[in-house]
Amino acid sequence: MEYISPEGLRLDGRRPLEMRQLHAQLGVVDKADGSAIFEMGNTKVIAAVYGPHEVQSKNQQLPDQALVRCEYSMANFSTGDRPRRSKGDRRATEISLVIRQTMEAAILTHLMPRTQIDIFVQVLQADGGTRAACINAATLAIADAGIPMCDLVTSCAAGYLNNMNYMEDSAGGPDVTVGLMTKMDKLTLLQMDSKLPMDIFETVMQLAIEGCKAIVRYIQNILLENTKQLEYQRGLRS
Amino acid sequence: MTSQAALAGEIEVEAFRRLYPLQFYERHLNDNVRPDARPLGRARATSLALGTVPTADGSAMAKIGHTTMLAGVKLEVMTPATDAPDEGRIAVDFQMPPICSPDVRPGRPVDTAAVISEQLFSVLASSGVINLKELSISKGQAAWMAYLDIYCLDADGALFDAALLAAIGAFAHLRFPAVSMTEEGKVIPLSGDTVLEDGNKEQPKVQEQRQQLTLGKIPFSLTCMLHKKYILADPTAEEEKIFQTTITVVLDHSGRLVSFYKPGGSALASTSTIQDCMALTRYRVKELQKILDEALSEMEPV
Repeated sequence: MEYISPEGLRLDGRRPLEMRQLHAQLGVVDKADGSAIFEMGNTKVIAAVYGPHEVQSKNQQLPDQALVRCEYSMANFSTGDRPRRSKGDRRATEISLVIRQTMEAAILTHLMPRTQIDIFVQVLQADGGTRAACINAATLAIADAGIPMCDLVTSCAAGYLNNMNYMEDSAGGPDVTVGLMTKMDKLTLLQMDSKLPMDIFETVMQLAIEGCKAIVRYIQNILLENTKQLEYQRGLRS
Repeated sequence: MTSQAALAGEIEVEAFRRLYPLQFYERHLNDNVRPDARPLGRARATSLALGTVPTADGSAMAKIGHTTMLAGVKLEVMTPATDAPDEGRIAVDFQMPPICSPDVRPGRPVDTAAVISEQLFSVLASSGVINLKELSISKGQAAWMAYLDIYCLDADGALFDAALLAAIGAFAHLRFPAVSMTEEGKVIPLSGDTVLEDGNKEQPKVQEQRQQLTLGKIPFSLTCMLHKKYILADPTAEEEKIFQTTITVVLDHSGRLVSFYKPGGSALASTSTIQDCMALTRYRVKELQKILDEALSEMEPV
């Protein structure tokens, strides 16, 4: 199967280094303290944040910082075939852990001791890069909830091609997912599958980091727009 | 009024609402209105969008006020049961993921989800809206199993009504994938332009393809809360928590009763109350029928 046509276009018409179309919306779940929908091409993810609130089980309470919990799940109709997924699915548990630790690095947990922050991510449509889309959605939802963060965390997945969709992902080539704290220009998440020579790895990582920077520009615009809307509603800006 | 005084006044009302919810509501009910300015018998703004999930064979998103349900139907081939060789089957799964409400915690499954799942299945099966024979591919050999998955994305009361509307929308939007049967009886998907190679003696039998389901008597529902002599239609989550006694009436589009559900509760219903609920539901059915028709007409033609 040809992943890049002779004219230099990928299966979905993109150039090799081009990202998919991004779309994000804040405040989609009314009951949640913060929520967001994030779309990267056909991958669509909804995130909701509840907190900071009282810790459920007192014995897990941390005296000097907030407890961050995360749960990732995929809708049964999100992928091409409908697998019978149990809640304790290993892949879901692993991704939940990854998202939790990535977000924990960014949230200023020491400002909210003895509380709990819940992040729930649900994949509605999966077309490659779900892990990255979940982290981006979680960042937006946490910002929507007004929980203080030291930096915006964005994530992007790349292989030989940037921001791969499901077909390209399943081709078996390398898949590098990167989570970047953009202002500080530091990595919080780096995961790789398959085999890569070291020098190509550097290039692929740079590609993913470029993707993260493009996403953060988009996210910053969305957050600015949202704040402007809130200001109009409160009458603080005419 | 200065903005600070207005803010202080607003905080007092909010505090009263939290501390004495019943009195807060009764003050409104005395004037035949609810805190969101609805009259007692009116439902919230409802919308239905079809085809929201392209990866599913049929999908719909229904919103009643803030309550949001996303339904998807996926079809899988199965061998039909021996006592019903020309029928397919439907499996309903209603889930409330933790994003929908602060009351739903991960690891602790909510009773509400199981109850609504059961209610939905029984209404869909007993109303005859779906003819299981339409799900058959080849008698005795292959039939479709329709997995209906409904996810609650935002739980703000009247969950059953929104779930039923989304389920109906998803089945209305459902498109069967084109398939053909091989000689051995295996069902294989047929893409739009498969070319049969020359010398291929095994011609797959292409079935008379049905494109979509014909829906029979479509059920529509309305949930009401009972409190003393008041009947509140389409409750929000706050109202459901305070009043606690619900009645769910399911009627078909011609106004005949499909299902009536009053699962206990401290408020008792007299015959006249029941008739009032049915009248409210009859009015609601007309609204919902119009919404469904609009959504169907906006869909691309097959």
